[in-house]
Amino acid sequence: MGERITFAIAAATALVCSIAVISVRDAFRAAVALIGALLSVAVIFVLLSAPFVAMIQVVVYAGAIVVLFLFVIAYLGERRTVGAPDRLARWQFLSWVAVLTLGALAVIAFFNSDLAGFRDDPRPTGNIGDPDAIGAAFLDRYLIPFEVTSLVLLVAAVGAVLLARRAVQREGGR
Amino acid sequence: MTGVPLAFYIGLSAAMFLIGMLGVMIRRNPLLLLLAVELMLNSANVALVGFSRHWDDSAGQIFALVVMVVAAAEVVIGLGLVVATFRQRIELDVDQLSTLKG
Repeated sequence: MGERITFAIAAATALVCSIAVISVRDAFRAAVALIGALLSVAVIFVLLSAPFVAMIQVVVYAGAIVVLFLFVIAYLGERRTVGAPDRLARWQFLSWVAVLTLGALAVIAFFNSDLAGFRDDPRPTGNIGDPDAIGAAFLDRYLIPFEVTSLVLLVAAVGAVLLARRAVQREGGR
Repeated sequence: MTGVPLAFYIGLSAAMFLIGMLGVMIRRNPLLLLLAVELMLNSANVALVGFSRHWDDSAGQIFALVVMVVAAAEVVIGLGLVVATFRQRIELDVDQLSTLKG
């Protein structure tokens, strides 16, 4: 029963914070609401017996990525960023149509699913989420994805440096 | 009835994904757009870890960790583009940023 109560609280917080992220116009407040959503998702990961993923979620996501967002928001300052609505704003209702259609499809798929154990209590699992199990899987079965991941990070870092240098050069800086 | 069935996690994941998708489509500030993309990536992670629990296999968790790395890379490039746009004194509005030039 306690697990269900925890899930209900975490899921409600995640949904409320998600709605806040997309409905608040101020980027700073949206980023803070995103922290709430990310921490609720970390609680969900703990419930799913994935403590290592939950820890990475808090440290990397709620920590590093959101702090990077907050730095950029603070750097850009209080400047008004979005101008008056243009001719595209008229078609905004189409995005609601797309989202509602996809939601209806999800509901239909949800209630027609015949996956075994989809609606039952979860079976007890082994130690799939322990740090040693994750580490062993990364260095054994998933070694190549692991190395490719490091390549992705390298490319992203080089790309960020290149973007920053170009912007500085165009301004006539160093 | 003590545990939480997989269906609840998948429902939460779908709801968060739809919220994020709506945010990507209705917002014009690139910063808010990136935040909404983060929501979508996180909802996918919830589904991945949920199925990982369901099949009693750590592959889903590995995939979720890789998705986090990709999200970090995406944020670095996205924020780099936002800052580069800002320094050229262009309005930060994705509807206006419609031309590419080397």
